[in-house]
Amino acid sequence: MNWNRIAVLAVPVTLFGVAACGGERIPPKGLVDARTDYYQARDGLAGRLDPTDVHEADVALQKAERAWENEPNHPITVDLAIVADRKALLAQSVAATMKSQQDVQTATAQLQDLKNQQLRSAQGQLTGMAQTLGATQMQLEQQKATAEAQRQQLLALEAKLHDARDTIAKIASVKDDARGMVITLPGEVLFKTAKYELKAGAMAKLDQIAEQLKGKELPITVYGFTDNVGAGDMNMTLSQNRAQSVRDYLVSKGIPSDLVKAQGKGADDFIADNTSIEGRAQNRRVEIVVQPKQ
Amino acid sequence: MKPKAVFAVMVASAGLVAACASSFPPPNNEWAAAQGDVGRAQAGGAPGVPDARLHLQLAEEDLQKAKALIGTDDDNNRRALSLTEVARSEAQLALSLGKQAEADGQARQAQAELAKAASH
Repeated sequence: MNWNRIAVLAVPVTLFGVAACGGERIPPKGLVDARTDYYQARDGLAGRLDPTDVHEADVALQKAERAWENEPNHPITVDLAIVADRKALLAQSVAATMKSQQDVQTATAQLQDLKNQQLRSAQGQLTGMAQTLGATQMQLEQQKATAEAQRQQLLALEAKLHDARDTIAKIASVKDDARGMVITLPGEVLFKTAKYELKAGAMAKLDQIAEQLKGKELPITVYGFTDNVGAGDMNMTLSQNRAQSVRDYLVSKGIPSDLVKAQGKGADDFIADNTSIEGRAQNRRVEIVVQPKQ
Repeated sequence: MKPKAVFAVMVASAGLVAACASSFPPPNNEWAAAQGDVGRAQAGGAPGVPDARLHLQLAEEDLQKAKALIGTDDDNNRRALSLTEVARSEAQLALSLGKQAEADGQARQAQAELAKAASH
């Protein structure tokens, strides 16, 4: 054998053996896990929330490391690594539990705040609704009172109108139709033939009628009618003038001018036969129509 | 040396030898404490949580191994003490994992209630 070749082979083998014996030993898995879990605990949530358990894990890990240095193959070394690992995991678990408990407290407080806020909002809405309801009720009461007052006024008015009708019926013909209460005065009583100035006797009757209608605040229309004798346009003018005379007289006696209108109807709306003297006399007339209150 | 003195030295030496021969006492108290930890983990909800149940099972196994070793000899007493410590750490971890699961559940429930209330 070539001694040089033996020397060439022997030197690396010897060096490898020395390196293997004096080199770094591979630690058991339990110790590796313990180191990893300890660092996670120390640098994570546990380092902030549970330093006591992290410290205990640190102490246990150091103990396991010493055992690994002194008695690497002893079963107790493995036990100590497991204990160190479990203590590191315990620190992480305790910290996670504390975090969850803090989350519960935070969420509970937020929930309470939210409920209080919702309660305040609901109370505000309820108060607003109550106020609106109160205002509505008050308006309703006011409207009810107003309606009742109006009803009473109407009743009083009707009573007065009824009295007025009775009084007027003594001096003129009174009837009711679709237009309202119709007071009919014959033309002969009010005017001379073909004239529209009121007679003295007519004024006396109109005084009584005005007296009864005064204060009723009812719209009044005075219609003038003629018979069919003469030209139609002349009759129309005459009827308009007569209606206007009566209207002006009523206004002069206190009926509000804005409530009284005058309208000539000519010979068209006759109520009796124009071929007889009696019929023509009936057709020559003035109607004072008192309209019902709307 | 007088005979009495020689006898005294012999008695003391014999006592010292005897003391060294049984230097590691059986870890009965430690074992009982570990058993207490296992009981607390069992009552604390660990059996209902998979991770906790695993560590609880390991603790029970370590406890059984330690019980078999206690009182046989010093080495076994020492190993039994070590296993008892392992059992304690496993049981304490199991108990903590059980509590953690419960706290996590409560946190999820509180968050869900908050989200539900906020959506109304």
